[in-house]
Amino acid sequence: MLAEGFKISPALILFFTLAVFVLAGLFSRVRGGTEYYPVAGARTGIVGAGAAIASNWMSAASLLGIAGIFYLQGYFALAYVIGWTGGYVLLLILLAGQLRRFGKFTAPEFVGERYDSAAARLLSAIIAIIISLIYCVAQYKGIGLIFSWIFGFDYTESLLLGAVVVMGYIVLAGTLGATRNQQLHYAVLIVFFIVPLMFIARELNFFWVLPQFGYGTALRELHGHTRGLFTQPFAHADVFQWCALAFTLMVGTAGLPHVLARFYTAPNLRDARWSVLWGIFFIGLLYWSAPAYAIFAKIWQARRGIVPDLETARESADMIVLLASDWAGMPLWLTGIAATAAIAAAFSTVTGLLITGAGAFSYDIYYRLLNPQASQSQCVRVAKGATLAMAILVVLLAANPPGLIAEITAVAFALAGNTLFPVFVLGIWWDRTNKYGAIAGMLTGISVTFSAFFLPQIFPALQGVLHPTSSALLGVPLVFVVMIGVSLVTPPPPESIRRYLVEKVHTP
Amino acid sequence: MSSRPPQSDPPAEDYRINFFRPRPGYMRQKVIYIWVLLTSWALFTFGFQLLLAWTAGTPQGEGPLTEITFFGFPLHFWYTGHFLIVWFIVLCFLFNTFVDRLTRAFRPRK
Repeated sequence: MLAEGFKISPALILFFTLAVFVLAGLFSRVRGGTEYYPVAGARTGIVGAGAAIASNWMSAASLLGIAGIFYLQGYFALAYVIGWTGGYVLLLILLAGQLRRFGKFTAPEFVGERYDSAAARLLSAIIAIIISLIYCVAQYKGIGLIFSWIFGFDYTESLLLGAVVVMGYIVLAGTLGATRNQQLHYAVLIVFFIVPLMFIARELNFFWVLPQFGYGTALRELHGHTRGLFTQPFAHADVFQWCALAFTLMVGTAGLPHVLARFYTAPNLRDARWSVLWGIFFIGLLYWSAPAYAIFAKIWQARRGIVPDLETARESADMIVLLASDWAGMPLWLTGIAATAAIAAAFSTVTGLLITGAGAFSYDIYYRLLNPQASQSQCVRVAKGATLAMAILVVLLAANPPGLIAEITAVAFALAGNTLFPVFVLGIWWDRTNKYGAIAGMLTGISVTFSAFFLPQIFPALQGVLHPTSSALLGVPLVFVVMIGVSLVTPPPPESIRRYLVEKVHTP
Repeated sequence: MSSRPPQSDPPAEDYRINFFRPRPGYMRQKVIYIWVLLTSWALFTFGFQLLLAWTAGTPQGEGPLTEITFFGFPLHFWYTGHFLIVWFIVLCFLFNTFVDRLTRAFRPRK
């Protein structure tokens, strides 16, 4: 239905946008920093740092996934919006300042240092790699779908093409030494996402100046068409499932390694704190808009009396941003800029995640455990190999995507929330937590996350309670209990680290 | 140093850190803020959903809160889709303002 031949104008827009990003990256590299440790620079200020948080955050899940899940599940999908913004509040209030004071820049480094254990460090590095992989699968699904729309190939071919282009992009940007200009990246993405929405709103006769508000009228019209089946709060899932999903995404956000890294890039802690406020605002601009795409697509169908069956709806959900634009009769270039925004977001996310994952492998596993005598260049070679291996693994997993983009991403959040979040919170807020507790906790968290895939099938009582996207509402309290219990029956951590907590981490 | 409250110097060799028993002084003040803000974070997010479920008249959740229209939206949609994000920004603002003030009070030279 979508793959109808090669579309020239979206392809050109995509090419030029990516070229502009690389060129802008070449000019901004003089300010220093790398993709692994990006430097926001004092010049950009807290607003610029906020835009950097948002640009780092926005992925195919935000640009395609939210609208897709909204199209299918209405109000229930707001749990994604709330989870992915409220998590920053949790992160800021509970962890950000103390983690920065602790002075370790990645999750494995923090765990290794705080718990003084190579095993805990290895476990957290493996977790960080799995999170990156799952997250990337969702991005690749988005890349595959959109390449399929632009180039007219089927999904698998487009996925392979997309994977090659991503690797080419990473290698090119890496060889040229181009860093991502995060402010430009954010500005282009948000404009490319909102402008088509304004045109769609105008075409469908809604308030188009602020389509974020204009879709309210559309909602009420839809309420009439569907007799409330779409707009009512618990039409698709009950209140427990809503809260479980939102909670999972929140703790996941607070535990996600590549989100945490942003707190180290601002020039000082105070700027880092204030930039979160702008970060939520900039992310909010996107999340206020994304549901409107889904609602407009629904309205278009409802006005024509089209009621897609569940299978068709599920298949088109992740493309609903482009479909909404297409159905409303928008010109190709306009749909093309929305497609470009999604591709650019997916590219930057994949780049960041593959580099984070490869870094965890080459530094935390290879250098720290396998070959401590390794030279710098050996580590770099291992990191490059790991990037390639992960990229291939992700393509294999994404060839047959197991769910919607937002759902796949949510599993990565569940894993982060069930493992790294408790390890961070207890590590910062309770000096008695030791390595045994941390290891037991992380193992419990991994078990909970992945048992959610099959336990409900075995025990029907768990259906509706334990779900792969929402396992942290049960998982996090369980992991906390395990960590506290195991820590109490084993020897306390070394005094040096407890003293460090008191003197460095919890002081003004 | 002299402007610090005297009780903020803990007895030597005491390195206990516990969220529920914060150390006197800076940490205790901060934990109080954290409690207040976390409570309002949870109440506004999850409390409202529970309220929706509690006031619902049908299994789909139709009730007084979904009947009201606000800015053209059904109230529950507007609250969760628009307002909660604004509220998160407000919470960040409050936290940052509190911590700025606290840091100034405990760090007079800077």
